[in-house]
Amino acid sequence: MSSLIDLDAVSFAYRDPQGKTYPVLQDISLKIAEGELVAIVGANGSGKTTLIRHLNGLLLPDQGRVLIAGQDTRSADGRRAIHQQVGMVFQHPEDQIISSTLEDEVAFGPENLGLAPAEIQGRVEETLRSMGLWEIRLRPPHLLSAGQTQRLALAGVLAMRPRCIIFDEATTMLDPAGRRMALDWMLRLHRQGITILFVTHHMEEAALAERVLVFERGRVVLDGSPRQVFADPARLAALGLELPPAAALAARLRHYLPGLPDDILTPEELKAGMDNISRLHEQVGGPQTAAPNINPPGAGDHSSLITVSHLSHTYLANTPLAHPSLNDVSLSVAAGASHGLLGRTGSGKSTLLQHLNGLLRPQSGSVQVGPFDLSDPSVLTRSVIQMVGLVFQDPEMQFFEQYVGDEIAYGPRQFPGPDSLADRVRSAMELVGLDFDDFKDRLLFTLSGGERRKVALASVLSLQPGVLLLDEPTAGLDPHSHAEILARLKGLQAKGMTLVLSSHRMEDLAELAQNLTLFDDGRVLAGGSLAEVFGGKALLEGAGLEQPLAVQASGWLRAQGWLLPAAVVTPEQLAAALAAARDAESVP
Amino acid sequence: MSQFEFLRSVNIGQYLPTASPVHRLDPRVRLVSYFLLVMALTFTRSPWGLLVGVLLVLATLRLALISLRFALRGLLAPLPFLLILALLQVFFNGRPDSGPVFFTIVGLVVGLSDIGVALMLLARFSTLVLALSLASYTLSTGELTVGLGYLLRPLARIGLPAHDFVMMLQVSLRFLPLLAQTAERIAKSQAARGADWDAHGGNLLARVRRIIPLIVPMFLVSLRRAETMALAMDARGYGSVEQRSSRIVLKTTPRDWVVVVFTIVIAVGIVILP
Repeated sequence: MSSLIDLDAVSFAYRDPQGKTYPVLQDISLKIAEGELVAIVGANGSGKTTLIRHLNGLLLPDQGRVLIAGQDTRSADGRRAIHQQVGMVFQHPEDQIISSTLEDEVAFGPENLGLAPAEIQGRVEETLRSMGLWEIRLRPPHLLSAGQTQRLALAGVLAMRPRCIIFDEATTMLDPAGRRMALDWMLRLHRQGITILFVTHHMEEAALAERVLVFERGRVVLDGSPRQVFADPARLAALGLELPPAAALAARLRHYLPGLPDDILTPEELKAGMDNISRLHEQVGGPQTAAPNINPPGAGDHSSLITVSHLSHTYLANTPLAHPSLNDVSLSVAAGASHGLLGRTGSGKSTLLQHLNGLLRPQSGSVQVGPFDLSDPSVLTRSVIQMVGLVFQDPEMQFFEQYVGDEIAYGPRQFPGPDSLADRVRSAMELVGLDFDDFKDRLLFTLSGGERRKVALASVLSLQPGVLLLDEPTAGLDPHSHAEILARLKGLQAKGMTLVLSSHRMEDLAELAQNLTLFDDGRVLAGGSLAEVFGGKALLEGAGLEQPLAVQASGWLRAQGWLLPAAVVTPEQLAAALAAARDAESVP
Repeated sequence: MSQFEFLRSVNIGQYLPTASPVHRLDPRVRLVSYFLLVMALTFTRSPWGLLVGVLLVLATLRLALISLRFALRGLLAPLPFLLILALLQVFFNGRPDSGPVFFTIVGLVVGLSDIGVALMLLARFSTLVLALSLASYTLSTGELTVGLGYLLRPLARIGLPAHDFVMMLQVSLRFLPLLAQTAERIAKSQAARGADWDAHGGNLLARVRRIIPLIVPMFLVSLRRAETMALAMDARGYGSVEQRSSRIVLKTTPRDWVVVVFTIVIAVGIVILP
């Protein structure tokens, strides 16, 4: 069988202006057949993006050869055909939109192919309709939600009728519903016979592929089915990766549930495995109180540090582009507690966070943070931010200095204090685990994704705030950096920092938060403890989210007769609850 | 109102699809009409001509179903610069002084004619900004590309890269709102770490002092975004055939011709009015 993509000993290196070379791809030989569904995984900087840019002629190899459907990417004629046959969807959807209307945007590719107007118009309408964008085709693209923008980017590619589509971390910026939709589209296109390649940091996504390529330092080090690739957890960890969550949870619980099959990869397989294990000793149900290790309530005192009441906010008010963002939102956060915000993109989480440090002021309703009443115009944002630090979503996009040290020193420079600048920068860097002497003089753009995120954290911590606001703190990180940032945040929590964080990763919220507020369309749908909010399956799904895997798994086990406490939200707690149930059983 | 809503003041580059009679005109007709109007406004020396121009722009905005408040707010951003220009005009204009003299500073005579010149400049530039905003509200990037591509065909025939020029224009227009968003993000992240954005408005100097630190990071971020956009264009086959086509079929109706003739008459009128 002939392959659609054929790489023969491809090597590629970046050169800096001084002529120094940085090898990125080293001697890669690889064949991908028409119709395959391939996941590409690997730590940040392992060469994944560079590789896929070779596949439609955006980059040309230094050595070796790339053939797409028999055409060499080096030949100009070949590239023409390749651009039509291989489409790409990138990570930041808003940067790939070129036009001011959705119809123009989808037409861009077919127009580049020189097709007839009637043909283009037909494809535009068909594609917009099939992607569910036809009704909103008159909205300006820069005001679409992230999920809609990513669908628009995909529509622009589909209208060219490609044989192969490559997704470069295309789900990173999406909420759970958006990610599910993007994955559904990949699978659907795959069933239509289109070859799909996707780069991802989410192992549960990689588990859905037929074939997984694992990159490390410019080489393909593992190549096989998900079952083969995920068979060796130790090897994965060494490569900076991890097991898919369902596999990891199964591995943790197998000690208590010996009947679980040992090749579980997806939540569906986990559920099927659990359905086969009915409770052996149903007569000895452990009492609900048996489960230990339930999240303690926030730091003892219940006086709230942050109180938001009846807050509403509209962006671009009084313009034709006005859109409401918050509608009658109330919540409170106790000192030292951790509060999670969840909801789909555009549901108002970021807008709320920007109200908590005074960047945005209440249009109606009120926000009280510590001693500050933010409706009072004489309260200066400059005073509030010294108590409340905000780490924006995608903070690396907003760096404004060149060097790590300068970036972190920006805040302290605005507020001179008794300690020396260097000391303040040093202690902030220590908090996030960056070595001061090693990192202070490094250029920001040479850092890895995880290191940059740490710099962003340190640059806010350098003002020693008592409250930290985090907007999607782990989005876009590879598994290793993700685990590290989570650990750092837990460390801050242990030091008494009040956290308010938004996340699309339910598992992160389960790890970090004690209380949650669920947003939908600018309103508060639900609020309460982790167990209360994560227990509301229907409400979560209505808001485009889903329960964390450990909560789902507890539900499946309960259906089999296990008595598990309602407050189980993390894998650790589930394991502990199972251990407790077993111990209760062994006592006669 | 938040001091960070930069998008609020970037009107040029936004397309407002209101499906109005103006939007239904042949894109070439809109382009030619706006061009004639802008030229007439630029070259007229007559205050009456400017008045006719303002009224025409405002009427067209209404006809295009665009809120006048929204359009006029677009003048706020360039206003400080226009005022400075006008002020300079008061002192340094080439016109011989005539009419009553109000006062003299360090040898510079300020009279009625100087005030008149400054007011003309203010009116002219404000109307031009409005006219350009009108063009961007009513021309989508696709219409702009195909219309301008058609009008510039003679240039393409003599070997000039007319199509690339048109695409450049489209991408720049698309970039304006992005630039505003980028500036907004950077301003917010600087304010979140201590930059002083508290004084609402503030004097001109304070404003400039806040904006300067935005410029370099804005360029860096914009360059990165431009690079991604170029990649996305490449990946979708831009430049892979000699002659790009378009989804839009150009078709003129009698109504289009009426509009062109009407615009020519008005444009000539604006220029020759006393």
